[in-house]
Amino acid sequence: MNAVTLKGLSKTYANGKKAVDSVNISLACGEVFGFLGPNGAGKTTTVKLLNGMLTPTGGSCAVFDVDPAKNPQKTHALSGVVTEHAQMYDTMTGIENLIFYGSLYGLTPSESEQQGKTLLEELELSHAANQKLAAYSTGMRQRLSLARALIHQPQILFLDEPTSGLDPESAQNVHHMIRRLASEHGITIFLCTHQLRYAQEICTRYGLMEEGRLLAEGTLDSLRLLTDSGMTLKIKASRIPETLLCQKTAPDAYEVPIQSEEEIPGIVRSIVNAGGDIYHISATLPSLEDIYFHLTRKEKSA
Amino acid sequence: MNQSMTAIIKKDIKGITSNKRMFITLLIVPLVLTIVVPSVFTLVFHFMPEEDTDLQKMLELLPLSMQNGNSRQTLAELMLNYIMPVFFLLIPIMASSVMAAASFVGEKEKRTLETLLYCPLSLKQIFRSKVMASFLLSMFVSAVSFTAMFVVIEAETYLFTNRFVIPDLKWLLIMLLVSPAISLIAITLIVRISAKAQSVEDAEQSSVFLVLPVILLIVGQFTGVLLISSWLLLGIGVLCGLLAALLLKKCMEHFQYETLLK
Repeated sequence: MNAVTLKGLSKTYANGKKAVDSVNISLACGEVFGFLGPNGAGKTTTVKLLNGMLTPTGGSCAVFDVDPAKNPQKTHALSGVVTEHAQMYDTMTGIENLIFYGSLYGLTPSESEQQGKTLLEELELSHAANQKLAAYSTGMRQRLSLARALIHQPQILFLDEPTSGLDPESAQNVHHMIRRLASEHGITIFLCTHQLRYAQEICTRYGLMEEGRLLAEGTLDSLRLLTDSGMTLKIKASRIPETLLCQKTAPDAYEVPIQSEEEIPGIVRSIVNAGGDIYHISATLPSLEDIYFHLTRKEKSA
Repeated sequence: MNQSMTAIIKKDIKGITSNKRMFITLLIVPLVLTIVVPSVFTLVFHFMPEEDTDLQKMLELLPLSMQNGNSRQTLAELMLNYIMPVFFLLIPIMASSVMAAASFVGEKEKRTLETLLYCPLSLKQIFRSKVMASFLLSMFVSAVSFTAMFVVIEAETYLFTNRFVIPDLKWLLIMLLVSPAISLIAITLIVRISAKAQSVEDAEQSSVFLVLPVILLIVGQFTGVLLISSWLLLGIGVLCGLLAALLLKKCMEHFQYETLLK
């Protein structure tokens, strides 16, 4: 059984805007899926479609074989959702909020409190458990939202920009937690973000979106195959042979595009034979950002 | 009603009662209507000349069962059993309209509606919880107002006439049937308005119109056009009860998450 299945999923709003256009994705249980793209790419709309908040205008989707459009309550019982628009009550304390949402998921007040306290501790919010939410910073609210989404131990988490507004350290903690949730508890993660660098650190598979369309989908290695250049070799050397095709980025610093690691010894030999001293050499694979920009450029030129 | 619905009801009621300023505002109008208004009437009855012929003529028009010889006593009974009951149709609607109007759109403004919708409750369950929260509050305010009014009227009448006024059967019908039924109809409609409104003010303005029929009833009662008998009241109560049940069942049938989040 797939955790998430999208079959030709489309959503066109009443004003004619096509937010999601025939998207096909299937996720296995326990995957950390990065759904990436700029604002307005259709990420949030997809999350809403997967939770039954919106009805598809084409295609279908399912969460653990449950159609969210037909049975939203069952989908909600299986999933936890963190989005920018899903806030909690300012007049209640952190723990009161968690107890309230726990009871909505069928937990007893004592179960909610116990689970809430554990989550607050994991998210480093224990000190603010009895503070009213109005006194919480953006980062604290975001972490409490994560605790709220986890209160009923869901099988899948939909996270829409979960680290926006967080300082780097808090963002790092949230990422560690997301990874741990997937690896230790087998929770499937559907992470929407435009922060490609963070996504690359924690996701096992990616879907790259632009203007409602899925540009590409797969693991980082499979996405790298879609780009023309395989790797970039960064070299710091006193002298480079003229025959070597490279780009000078700084004094004595060069970048050489290569297709595989096999080319590196030959390049090193040619520099040494030309009388150059090598101070540093490293091969970098294209990042998610590189892949994304390559694909969008390709899409535009097509 | 399940645990989740109870949690929403408790949360909504606590949201109002913990806001002291709002809660006091909510109590002031009912208490003015049930303490100040009858007190003014009682004082007027006490200080008006008993030999006033116009007043005597008016009292003679009343059914014989209501004429007990003492005009002040008769007027006190008239006030308690004919004038005050209609206020109790107005009080629960007024008391709960603010809370009902904010029920959905208030959550939308605070950006908590989406969170609520992501929980495993149907829209109908959320709707009913919102209606029930406002209804319970309105019944509470109604009961407090009734107790306050009853104590004040009895104390003042005893002070001036050395006798207590006896409430008639109408009060039982009003408090147990008509008032809850009318209140439930109004709240259901206001909560529905709130689900479609774009702001709390929007919902409050639209809700005001629901009080109009009750105000007309009060005007009718004061001008003598309409003297509500116990039987008529029972009929109104049963009809309103049925209508309330129907509304509660059918009101949210065509609502979708998408409509609410617009």
